[in-house]
Amino acid sequence: MTDIQNNAGRGRRRGHATRAATKIPYMVKSSIIDTLKAKEKGKILAYTFVYCCYDEIIRAMDIIPIWTENYSGVCGAKRDAERFLSRAESLGFSRSLCTYALCGIGFDQWREELGTMPQDAPWGGQMKPDLMLSSGQVICDPRYKWYQAVQQYMPDVPIYTVDLPWPVYEDDLDLPSVESYYIEYLKEELHGLVKFLEKHTGRKMNWDKLSELVDLTERTWNLIWETYELRRTVPTPMDTGDAMNTMVPILYMMGTQEGYDFFLELNKELKEKIKRKEGVISNEKFRLLWGGGLPPWFALGDFNYFNSKGAVFPVEVTYRVIEPINDLNIPNTNGPVERIAWRWLRYWTYWYKKAKSRPGSEPDVERLIQYIEDYRIDGVVVHLASSCRTAHLSLIWQLSQLKKIYKQIPCLFLESDMIDIKQYSKLHTRNMIDAFIEILESNKEKRGNC
Amino acid sequence: MPRNNVFSKVERYYRDYGARAKELKAQGIKVIAYLCSLTPIEIITAAGFLPLRIRGDTREPITIGDTKLETIACPFLRSCFDVSLKGRYDFCDGLIIPHACDSITRTYSVWRYSIGITYSHFVNLPHKVSETSLKFFKAELTTFKNSLERFADKKISDEALAEAIDLNVENRKKVKALYQSRKSNPPPISGAEIGKILTAGMGLPVSESNELFDECLRQIKLKKEIPLKKRPRIMILGSCLDNVDLITFVEDAGADVVVDSLCMGTRDYWRDIGSVDDPMRAIALLYLNKMNCPRTYREKVGKKFREDAEARFGDIGLLINEFKVEGVILYVYRNCDPFGFEVPARKEYLSSLHIPVLYLEGEYSSGAIGHLKTRIKAFLELIG
Ligand code: SF4
Ligand code: SF4
Repeated sequence: MTDIQNNAGRGRRRGHATRAATKIPYMVKSSIIDTLKAKEKGKILAYTFVYCCYDEIIRAMDIIPIWTENYSGVCGAKRDAERFLSRAESLGFSRSLCTYALCGIGFDQWREELGTMPQDAPWGGQMKPDLMLSSGQVICDPRYKWYQAVQQYMPDVPIYTVDLPWPVYEDDLDLPSVESYYIEYLKEELHGLVKFLEKHTGRKMNWDKLSELVDLTERTWNLIWETYELRRTVPTPMDTGDAMNTMVPILYMMGTQEGYDFFLELNKELKEKIKRKEGVISNEKFRLLWGGGLPPWFALGDFNYFNSKGAVFPVEVTYRVIEPINDLNIPNTNGPVERIAWRWLRYWTYWYKKAKSRPGSEPDVERLIQYIEDYRIDGVVVHLASSCRTAHLSLIWQLSQLKKIYKQIPCLFLESDMIDIKQYSKLHTRNMIDAFIEILESNKEKRGNC
Repeated sequence: MPRNNVFSKVERYYRDYGARAKELKAQGIKVIAYLCSLTPIEIITAAGFLPLRIRGDTREPITIGDTKLETIACPFLRSCFDVSLKGRYDFCDGLIIPHACDSITRTYSVWRYSIGITYSHFVNLPHKVSETSLKFFKAELTTFKNSLERFADKKISDEALAEAIDLNVENRKKVKALYQSRKSNPPPISGAEIGKILTAGMGLPVSESNELFDECLRQIKLKKEIPLKKRPRIMILGSCLDNVDLITFVEDAGADVVVDSLCMGTRDYWRDIGSVDDPMRAIALLYLNKMNCPRTYREKVGKKFREDAEARFGDIGLLINEFKVEGVILYVYRNCDPFGFEVPARKEYLSSLHIPVLYLEGEYSSGAIGHLKTRIKAFLELIG
């Protein structure tokens, strides 16, 4: 969910958006509305998580995914999450837990109790699913605890939990020696998912279709990579404010022609902008890296604020969950499930080799260094969302390690939450940004004086 | 040994946790620090190392830890990290971190680089319980074993593994026996004393821990001055409780903490390893299937919440019956996702057993426990 969606809801548009990105809110809205009508059309709906790697399996089985993090994001961006969060709190869930999950649980419990959507639910609400697909292992705890918690309020909905492991980085990790059992387990988990879906839908997997969708996903990854790399240009034709929109096809439309076509269009648009030397802002003074953290969906206007100070974000870590497929060296295999498993594993271990070659480095830090170099970055901004441990723990360490093993670079820590607006202070945030810009300015002057 | 002696030894080891490990270190034994009940200590012992579980300190304010680690981690983990940064585990040679929860997993790098221990290893536990996850975990344990062997510069023999397993089986049996003594009403030993014994034992080599538990068991049997007054029988339910602050508090307020479902309590010790024909598989089963921790997902059972709740929390119900529990205190730290997401389900399960329950959100500091005083007292009055 994005600020454009939010602003669209209020009849405004983000100042510096690309044409392609402005279409996103309508795409999201219509996909949510589609889920509301899907049951009438005999479709099967499944709750699931972004970044789950099995998008193509769901699509090949003709199941409609409901991305539950997305709906919580929608509520947050529309500044209407509070009633669902406090409902979850009243059920006994601590407010310190992942607020996406709390919002989703609060909503579901309310809808189940009413037997209909809560009044004025953002964009019509979130449908009760036929199935729930959790995905545990290293990504995060809420990804398997959330649906387990929700089943208290809708116990009749079957759940399948897919374990999606990858080996955590160690200096002495001998990747080839562990890959085989990781791949074996991943394959078995994904085949288990296919069996579960076949059992509960009464349909058979169409393996040819799955292969086609895996191909399409791989082509989409390459296209996204190529498109995002265009943002290296000075002035950059697109910044993170937009990427918080263009994450929608990455996260919610993988394995669809619509997602692929979206990036074709964006690619074309960025190339045109580059040709015209048209940047996000005309006087690009500072190039920043969004170095981590989920954004505060209710306050994406802060990207415009950065822009107004001459700062742009040509690159971000958040939601750039693709790497160029050819660089992943996926072994030759015709089995689509095996290909998905390898893609998953090699994606997570992509930076390991680089990290090994620099003492004191780590994959996450290595990625920051690469982006700083490639995108000519002057400073790093991270956002610490208070309720999500997985994406935010270790950010302090990453940035201090970055300075230690690479170079001193100004870093800004912003703090609030993804959707809990109570954690946000506009005044404080803007003061922090102002102070950061001053540091960047004085750095620039110093460099100029050298 | 007179009762006072063994219990003063317990008190000493409880207060000066790790003292024995330091002595052994001075004698040339390598000490491996670890986090969480999910670290397979049998393999560490079999490698000839002394496993030492990292504890936090509820009396030590978290200071430098918070400058290096985001405060959104659970307070227990933050305290463990803070005291480690302050040098409490500096004498250790290695660090093992298992894939427990997000707070633990996501801070692995921070730990590795910040506390100055050169050897470390991450053990990746699956989240699911199934034949395939077990196969995966067994392979992962072999990777762990290989890593320890490289660090020890020697092979871990099957005999050493079998011996370590046996010693830990003994250890768990003795803890069960200690708990059994609390079945009588009133119990001959307080919950706080049991907590201290277990913590003291955790800081010792398992063979010495076994001796300590034996001594304690003997003394409990000899005990004459059993209190006459029957008091409400309470169970504490929660995550990682490595101190007796809360238990002492509840007991001082007029109740007996007779049993728990806690790490460093029954969650750790109520497990039976079963057949050890294939020792690595047996260890995998012990830590994956037989540890009832919410971080491990159990496939949903039945179509009604009650059926699934029984499958997930039935072990708690059994303990409630066995120990004639009259009230439960559900104590979960702030920012703890695995337990936090289960609070309403656990409450509903307990109310289906008609057991009063008090849910407290914890901060891991003795001061913060003091703030819960009024609610605990009111709860105990309710039970009567
Ligand atoms: S904990 Fe973080 S990564 Fe996990 S569901 Fe919540 S927001 Fe997403
Ligand atoms: S208390 Fe919870 S979050 Fe903290 S270490 Fe234990 S399981 Fe993890």
